[in-house]
Amino acid sequence: MSNTLFDLATSCRVVLCCRVAPLQKAGIVDLIKSRTDDMTLAIGDGANDVSMIQMADVGVGICGQEGRQAVMASDFAMGQFRFLKRLLLVHGHWNYQRVGYLVLYNFYRNAVFVLMLFWYILFTAFSTTSALTDWSIPTIVVGILDKDLSDKTLLKYSKLYGAGHRHESYNMYLFWIMMIDTLWQSLVLFYIPVFTYSESTMDIWSMGSLWTIAVVVLVNVHLAMDIQRWVSFTHIAIWGSIIITYACVVVLDSIPYFPNYGTIYHLAKFPTYWLSILLITVLALLPRFIFKVIRQTFWPSDIQIAREAEILRKRRSPTRSW
Amino acid sequence: MNSNAPSSSSGATGSADSSGPRRNSKRPKYSRFTQQELPACKPILTPRWVISAFMLVSIVFIPIGLASLFASRDVVEIIDRYETDCIPQALRNDKVKYIQGPEDKTCNRTLRVPKHMKQPIYVYYQLDNFYQNHRRYVKSRSDKQLKDPKSENDVSSCKPEDTTPGSNQIVPCGLIAWSMFNDTYSFSRNSEQLPLNKKGISWKSDRQHKFGKKVFPKNFQNGTLIGGAHLNSSIPLSEQEDLIVWMRTAALPTFRKLYGKIEVDLQANEIIQVQLKNYYNTYSFNGKKKLVLSTTSWLGGKNDFIGIAYLSVGGLCFVLAMAFTIIYLVKPRRLGDPSYLSWNRNP
Repeated sequence: MSNTLFDLATSCRVVLCCRVAPLQKAGIVDLIKSRTDDMTLAIGDGANDVSMIQMADVGVGICGQEGRQAVMASDFAMGQFRFLKRLLLVHGHWNYQRVGYLVLYNFYRNAVFVLMLFWYILFTAFSTTSALTDWSIPTIVVGILDKDLSDKTLLKYSKLYGAGHRHESYNMYLFWIMMIDTLWQSLVLFYIPVFTYSESTMDIWSMGSLWTIAVVVLVNVHLAMDIQRWVSFTHIAIWGSIIITYACVVVLDSIPYFPNYGTIYHLAKFPTYWLSILLITVLALLPRFIFKVIRQTFWPSDIQIAREAEILRKRRSPTRSW
Repeated sequence: MNSNAPSSSSGATGSADSSGPRRNSKRPKYSRFTQQELPACKPILTPRWVISAFMLVSIVFIPIGLASLFASRDVVEIIDRYETDCIPQALRNDKVKYIQGPEDKTCNRTLRVPKHMKQPIYVYYQLDNFYQNHRRYVKSRSDKQLKDPKSENDVSSCKPEDTTPGSNQIVPCGLIAWSMFNDTYSFSRNSEQLPLNKKGISWKSDRQHKFGKKVFPKNFQNGTLIGGAHLNSSIPLSEQEDLIVWMRTAALPTFRKLYGKIEVDLQANEIIQVQLKNYYNTYSFNGKKKLVLSTTSWLGGKNDFIGIAYLSVGGLCFVLAMAFTIIYLVKPRRLGDPSYLSWNRNP
C-alpha cells in the first residue's frame, strides 16, 4: 500500500492529504525520506505537527495561535506561514552559497600553507617557525556578509533556487579544481623566492618571513577576487588583515628575544622583496582568474546571469526600485 | 508588497517581544546591518574590466621586467670554483685525508676582471650542497649564551657541542658555531695588496643586540674533532663579524656569505691574484666551494630570474588581453541576457 502511495505521490506535482492524524503526518514525511535521498521539510504550527516536524530533515515551527509546541520541536521558527518563501528562497540560498564557498576556501587556505612547507621539506628537514597564527577574520566576515544576489531577485525568480538542488556551490568537481589550483599556488609561493634568492646571502629567517607574508597576501587577495559584495566591513577585514599581519611582523621583529629580530627591517629595504611578493600574488592567481573569466563568458551559470542583470539594471536606473 | 521578515534563527522564537517600550507591531528594530542592507559595491567581470586588468598587469610588469633584467646585466660577477683545483693533483684521490692532514693548504688563484667593476666590490664565499637549513643544525645554538655572559651555562640545545669532555661550557656552543667556515682570502693586483674591508659585513641588529659585547669565546674548538675556525678569545662576540655572518643560517643548500668588501675600482682585463688558504672540509659531503666577487645593483646581485619572470608574466597578460578582446568582439555575450538562463535555454 505504501509503495502505491509513494509511486502516486511522486508522479504528482502537489499532493493534498486531509483528516490526517499526527503519526500519519510523520508517516508521509518518512515515506519520501526513506525511499529517496531528497531533503524533506515540514512546517506546522500546532502540537499535532510535532512528530512530522521532527521526522523531516528540516523542521519549521510557526509560533502563534496554537502555542509554542511546534516551535520547541523545530529547527527554524517563524511568525507566519508566508515567511517560508523567504526562508527558503532567500536565506536558504544565501546560506548554501556561503557555506559551500567557505568550505572550499578553508580547504584551500590550509592546504596552501601546508603544501608550501612540504615543498620546503624536500629541500631540507627544517620547518619554518613562524610565530603568526592564521587570520580567519576575513573568512568570518565574508561568511556573514557576502551575498551573490539580492533578496528581491531571489524571490522573483524562484527557479534560481535550483542552484542548490544541482549542488552548484560545492561538489566533487569544484573540490578537485580547487585542489589543483591550491597545488599550483603553493608551488608558485614556494619556488619564486627560491629562484629569486638562489645563490644569495638569504638566510632562513628572512625566507620564512617572506613566505609567511606572501601566503597571507595571497590568500586574502584570492578571497577578495571571489567576494561578490563589498561592504565597509569586508574592506576592513581583508585589507586590515594584511596590514595587521605586517604590523605583527614588525613588532615581532623588533624584539631581540625572537630569532627573527631585525629581519623585516633588513628585507624591506630591498626592492626584490616587494617585487617577489607582487609576482607571487599575480602569478599564483592568474590561472584562477583566467578560468573564472572563461567560465563566465562561455558557460555562465544562472546565478551569474541574474547577478549581471540585477547589477546592470541598477546601474542604469538607480532611482527605479523594483 | 513584501514586508520585512525577521531573520530566521534556529530554536529561538521568531516573534518574541523585544524588551523596551510596548510597540504595536512585533517587528524587530530595523538596522542596516541586521537586515544585511549595508551599502555595497558589487563588482562584476565585464569585458572592459577583464581586458583592463590584463592590460594593467602587462603595463606594470613589462617595464619592471626590463628594468630588472638591465640591472642584473649591469652586475659584474667573477666566480671561481676552487675546492678541487686547490688540491695537488697527486693527492686528489683521497680528498678528505688531504684536508685533514698537515700539508700546507695555501693555494694561489688567478682571476680576470671581465668588465669595469665599481667599488664597493663584495667578496663572498659560496658553498654548494651545505644544508645549513637542516632542522637539527638550525636548532644547535644558544641565543641567550651569545648575548649575555651570565647565561654561559645555557647550553642544553647545543648538544653535542655543549661542553668539553671535562664539563666546561663551550662559548659559543652548538654545531653552527663549531662548523664555522675558515678559508681565508687575500687579494693583490700587480704585486700590490688590495685592502679588504672586513668591518660591517654583518647585520647591525645582530652586532648590537644578538651578540654580546661582554661575551668572549671560551673552550672553543678544544675537542678532538675540529669543525672549522678557531676564535680569538680576547675579542668579544659582537666584534667577531665572520662568526656573526656564519651564524645567520642560510635558507637554501646553495648559499653565499659575505667575506669582505674591496673598496677600490677594478678595471677591465686586470689580473687579480688571490692567495687563499683551503682549510675548510667540504669534501666529506661533496660540497663545492666558490669564491665570488660581485658588484651590486638596486636589485641585489646577479639574478636574471625576476627580470625574466616579470617579462614573461607581462607578456602573457598582454597576449591574453588581445585574445580576450578578439573573443569579446567575435562572440559577445550580452550581460544579464535572460535568454541564457538554463530554464530558457532548455525549456
